[in-house]
Amino acid sequence: MKLMHTKLPEFIKKMKEAAIKGKIPKDIEIKGLENLTSAKMQSLRTGRIEHAVSEIAVKKNVEKLEINVIPRVPETMHTVIVKGLDKDGKCMSAVLEVINILHPTEEAYLLDCDDVDDRRPKIGLH
Amino acid sequence: MNILKFKLIPQSKDEKIGITIPLNIAFVELADIKACDITAREAVKLIADSIDGPVGINVIDMDCVTTTSDGIMTEGTVVLMAAGDRGKINPDFGILEMEEIPYSEELIREEPHLKQWVMYPGKRLFRGPNPKKKLIPVHNVVITGRAGNNNSATEMMNIVTMEEILLPILGQLEIIKGGNVVVGNTGEVISVGIGMTIAEKFGRIFPTRQYKAGDTAHSSGEYAQTLKRNIPIIAADKAIIAKQTIKALQFGMIPGKDIGCSPLILSIAKAMGFKIDFDNITDRAYEELSSVGITKEWLQEEIIALTADEVIAQADTIVPGINNPRKFRASEITVLKEIEI
Repeated sequence: MKLMHTKLPEFIKKMKEAAIKGKIPKDIEIKGLENLTSAKMQSLRTGRIEHAVSEIAVKKNVEKLEINVIPRVPETMHTVIVKGLDKDGKCMSAVLEVINILHPTEEAYLLDCDDVDDRRPKIGLH
Repeated sequence: MNILKFKLIPQSKDEKIGITIPLNIAFVELADIKACDITAREAVKLIADSIDGPVGINVIDMDCVTTTSDGIMTEGTVVLMAAGDRGKINPDFGILEMEEIPYSEELIREEPHLKQWVMYPGKRLFRGPNPKKKLIPVHNVVITGRAGNNNSATEMMNIVTMEEILLPILGQLEIIKGGNVVVGNTGEVISVGIGMTIAEKFGRIFPTRQYKAGDTAHSSGEYAQTLKRNIPIIAADKAIIAKQTIKALQFGMIPGKDIGCSPLILSIAKAMGFKIDFDNITDRAYEELSSVGITKEWLQEEIIALTADEVIAQADTIVPGINNPRKFRASEITVLKEIEI
């Protein structure tokens, strides 16, 4: 089961549903997935994140929720495809390059929060 | 009770300094850490905890040697780099030690610029980290929150504001020694020069001997001069840079062969009439050098060679690089901080 994956739209829908499960439905904003159009999300963690959303949603001092999806590893390596297209949109020539991108780690998103429960497994585990 | 001393350049847009300092920058000597009977890792955690914001932290051992990116050996090196943010240090990516490079004949054969080591007897050598000791193969960087400390502690950045500062090693050592620094914008010449690296295992930038002396790691033609052009920099006074470079040249290091072909090295070599290995400098390196006015023809012009003292005295005009430079005593841009332990 742990190797199954959830469709991206389904993941987003699940989080929104988890946020309204308490007595008072709460808004949730999901940031960090805007650039993805087609993605499969790890099912095992999808369930755990749904659970985390519902846990936070029922807290009395919480008015609204936010999910930030950020790279676990703060330097990500990306392939860059430089394409030249003809008038019909057909790729006539291309160059493959690479670029590494640095990202802030989770501390940058939690500067004002002291109550952080880190449930992530060590890097390399699922 | 022990007192841990360190020097801090506070995050600022200080008009006196004239550049944006994008995050707090802390320098601590390993000897001062040892005097407190704590480890370097414990020390950087204490320093991060004392600063309410993003901070890059460099632990410097003045009893060791290192090399500049273009291959000039110098006394004093970073042995550990860290990044912190509001008291936190990321447990996976926030701290990294540099790797000691043990002496061997094979090493000297592979990296001829290390012949300079004989001028520093008994000194241990450190440059960059061992990639096998990193959790995953990120480049030589540590990151916590907004703070990034990369290229083995010679560039620091605020990843949220995206502002950055260059901290060449000779400038850091001047800060530790309370010497003289130049502050300004990196400019086109140093932007090109940064790419003129030498082949080093566990180097400050590259973990393998990927680019040899005479070549350019940038390999981006006329664009190389723009890569770091506008980024603030704190460098050593040019007289200090000239003195250290002349020491390597007088020892017998040949630009383009043993040491890099950066505009800085080539300009000093030309002024003093030292041999340059023109044939070993690649076309793509010449292309980048030409973009900042360092052509083969200019380098080969007949000149009356200057003495070392004359070059050092005229370093501000002979050594190219840094736009809008301002000179400071290191003590004018740093604050001495103390932590009770």
